[in-house]
Amino acid sequence: MFNEKSESPRKKEGKSQFVGSRIGEKEREILSKLQETSGLSKTQLLLKGLEVLGEYYSLGLDQSPISIELTRFETEALRYAEAIRQIRQRGQAIKLIVQELRDVDAIIDKHEGDRSRLIQILLDVQKKYGWLPKLALMWISERLDVPMARIYSVATFYKAFSLTPRGRHTIRVCMGTSCKVRGAPTLLDNTRRALGIEPGQTTPDAKFSLTTVNCLGCCALGPMMTVDDEYYGRLKVTDVKRILAKYS
Amino acid sequence: MAKIKYVSSPEDLERLRREIIAKREPSKPCITVCVSTGCAAQGSRRVVEAFRAELEKQGLKDKVEIKETGCVGFCEQGPRVTVYPQEIYYFKVKPEDIPEIVSKTVLKKQIVERLLYKDSITGRTAQKLEEIPFYKYQLRLLLENNTKIDPKNIEDYIAVGGYSALAKALFEMTPEQIIEEVKKSNLRGRGGGGFPTGIKWETTRNAPGEPKYVIVNCDQGDPGAFMDRTVMEGNPHSVLEGLIIGGYAIGAHQGFVYVREEYPIAAENISIAIKQAEEYGLLGENIMGSSFSFNVKVHRGAGAFVSGESSALMTAIEGKVGEPRPKYIHTAIKGIWDKPSCLNNTKTWATIPLIILKGAEWFRSIGTKGSSGTMIFSLVGKVNNTGLVEVPMGITLRDLIFKIGGGIRGGKKFKAVQTGGPSGGFIPEQYLDTPVDFDELTKLGSMMGSGGMIVMDEDTCMVDMARYFIDFLLEESCGKCVPCREGLKALSKILNDICEGKGKDGDIETVRDVAEVMRDASLCALGRTAANPVLTSLKYFRDEWEQHIKFKRCPSKACKALISYYIDPEKCQACTLCLRECPAGAIQGGKDQVHWIEQEKCIKCGTCYEACNFAAVKKLSGEPIPPTLKGVKPIRKKVVR
Repeated sequence: MFNEKSESPRKKEGKSQFVGSRIGEKEREILSKLQETSGLSKTQLLLKGLEVLGEYYSLGLDQSPISIELTRFETEALRYAEAIRQIRQRGQAIKLIVQELRDVDAIIDKHEGDRSRLIQILLDVQKKYGWLPKLALMWISERLDVPMARIYSVATFYKAFSLTPRGRHTIRVCMGTSCKVRGAPTLLDNTRRALGIEPGQTTPDAKFSLTTVNCLGCCALGPMMTVDDEYYGRLKVTDVKRILAKYS
Repeated sequence: MAKIKYVSSPEDLERLRREIIAKREPSKPCITVCVSTGCAAQGSRRVVEAFRAELEKQGLKDKVEIKETGCVGFCEQGPRVTVYPQEIYYFKVKPEDIPEIVSKTVLKKQIVERLLYKDSITGRTAQKLEEIPFYKYQLRLLLENNTKIDPKNIEDYIAVGGYSALAKALFEMTPEQIIEEVKKSNLRGRGGGGFPTGIKWETTRNAPGEPKYVIVNCDQGDPGAFMDRTVMEGNPHSVLEGLIIGGYAIGAHQGFVYVREEYPIAAENISIAIKQAEEYGLLGENIMGSSFSFNVKVHRGAGAFVSGESSALMTAIEGKVGEPRPKYIHTAIKGIWDKPSCLNNTKTWATIPLIILKGAEWFRSIGTKGSSGTMIFSLVGKVNNTGLVEVPMGITLRDLIFKIGGGIRGGKKFKAVQTGGPSGGFIPEQYLDTPVDFDELTKLGSMMGSGGMIVMDEDTCMVDMARYFIDFLLEESCGKCVPCREGLKALSKILNDICEGKGKDGDIETVRDVAEVMRDASLCALGRTAANPVLTSLKYFRDEWEQHIKFKRCPSKACKALISYYIDPEKCQACTLCLRECPAGAIQGGKDQVHWIEQEKCIKCGTCYEACNFAAVKKLSGEPIPPTLKGVKPIRKKVVR
């Protein structure tokens, strides 16, 4: 804010505007935008900023370990925003994660913050977001006082969890024994080829994720697959294209 | 009046039962539709909606009851609809059939012939279950009530006599008497191991340490078996009642139900059942006014086969990675949080109320000497009638597959049956007359497992199947102990090589050596039994292995690397169907020109083989491909289909 270097136009304009600090064209633009969006005058903005700052210091948020944790979460928030390709602005990203952390909080509360319910909590988070965002895991680690290493060990051990965002539709091809003897491998091959991805991957347009499953318990209908909650049984390899075309 | 619903004595339960039954008119039409996974996948939810809409339209909403029930096992013929009081079973019902069922069967008591089960061989139709060959040889103890009760309604279960076993256990028997009765009944663990249930209970009861835990294992990870799900989905209260009785007998006050993640309906239904039982005073503090208190928590799995192993499952309940641990001290003594924990399979728990009510003698009169009672098998694979069958122990494999299962699909030849999931083995034709029970199957190198029974025909390659199970276990092995982790890797490598035509002399011996080390030195049952499919496949089908290794030939024409597709110019009708479907563009020819496959382009996906309506596409293995004829006119034939 007090940077002298950016004030090159000063010479031309003379000593016209002195408002606490000397500002250039660029800064003025930012200021007027700020005033526009918040509906506050510059002095009101300054007051508000000071208030927040005062609050920040009086709560002792500048002291470690809180300040370190805050930076950590801020960094994660930006990464997260990038990962889901939604938000570029820091403020919005932070607002979003605060909301998400509240959601995770609610899930943990539902399980009474019980450490032995870790798998259940992760299942609920997975269900809510379709994957396990790192932030949510950090939050769980913080709330349950369980090291991240253990959370990762659980999250990577089980098939139900995904550490990367999934596509809009999840295709599960059953590879159970009954489906296998009735031709599941060829079905999987064709699905793989039609989507251009391997099991465990998501198409670049984030439309489909492909996974295999050991048995869906619909052995009488094999070979079969599910797309989201819809079951498709007694499939022929030629059916794959038709089914995929149904989804957008 | 609301108070009466809370059962605070055995008399209350009887009164409640009488009230529920009195409320229901036996002559009132009732339609039950199966909504468990198998039928739901075939659209039974839409059938239910169609019924609701139709009854509304005809103004019969209050006169006819609709129930969403569990599975009767005949998934092949789903969706299933039963009309009471006549008890007529309709199969393969579609939403379009509903108006006819309502106007004919419900109103006029007539039968809709075309929806009845029709035997594909004799052509005879059947109204009742017992008339259908699939059911004729069954003895349904656990699955019987699945058509009658709505699993989400505890009153339905009470109406058919539910919770009276619990009343008897709590008020007429001591814990010791219950354990004695279970021991006398000779009930053995239905999860596959076949350990005597009564002895397990006694061990936990006498083990030092409090609190004690009881656990239901509904983590049926075995591919090709789904009876635990069916019991849990269709009749969750029977499992719950058994668990409460077990808790009382063992001295536990906390129970867990571990349900597999892939079974969402089962998890939902048992959660509802627990809530309702608590509301009725059948679970929670001072059950039925006795001094016994008991609580149950549902724990969902997250997709890991090995977590079905008892010690792994208990670790998972503790919230950790579900890995097995050495069992120098059995989990019955040191299980969850190192406390005595008794884990039983879903079906074992569901059997308990029957034993308590009808007595050990009755139970022992069913089945064989070593294995009493019934067993639920999931008869799947290349058999005509697929589904769940509940039969007395000791039935022969031949009866199961040919009488109940209706033989092999498409008139093909039987090759083997695989029992016991990935830990079991293959049983060839010469042993088809073996009676099925825990001990007989073990003698053949297989095992009972949780009751999966996958039938294979001549098109199934036994080397490929062995590879399938090894690859499955390789992925599911937790990697904690070396013999299992490395052994599976080695086996997978060798088997994949053989299936890809890269097998070499000495492979069979190496496989056998590795398998033996795994059997002797692995930490848990997953590793110890992992080699069963390979060993039995080798024992009974060695010739197939040798064909693969020596002649690079797959006799069943299933191993992709060893087969080629070829279009028979004499049969090809030049319809261009395969040509259009081929994803690789490997099929050449055109209208009025017999098609041929460019072998170097062919990716062997089998699309043309399935697409062809004239059976002109052939698989070849270990024989030269006949030279391709280009520009030949097809020999037109009459369309067969």
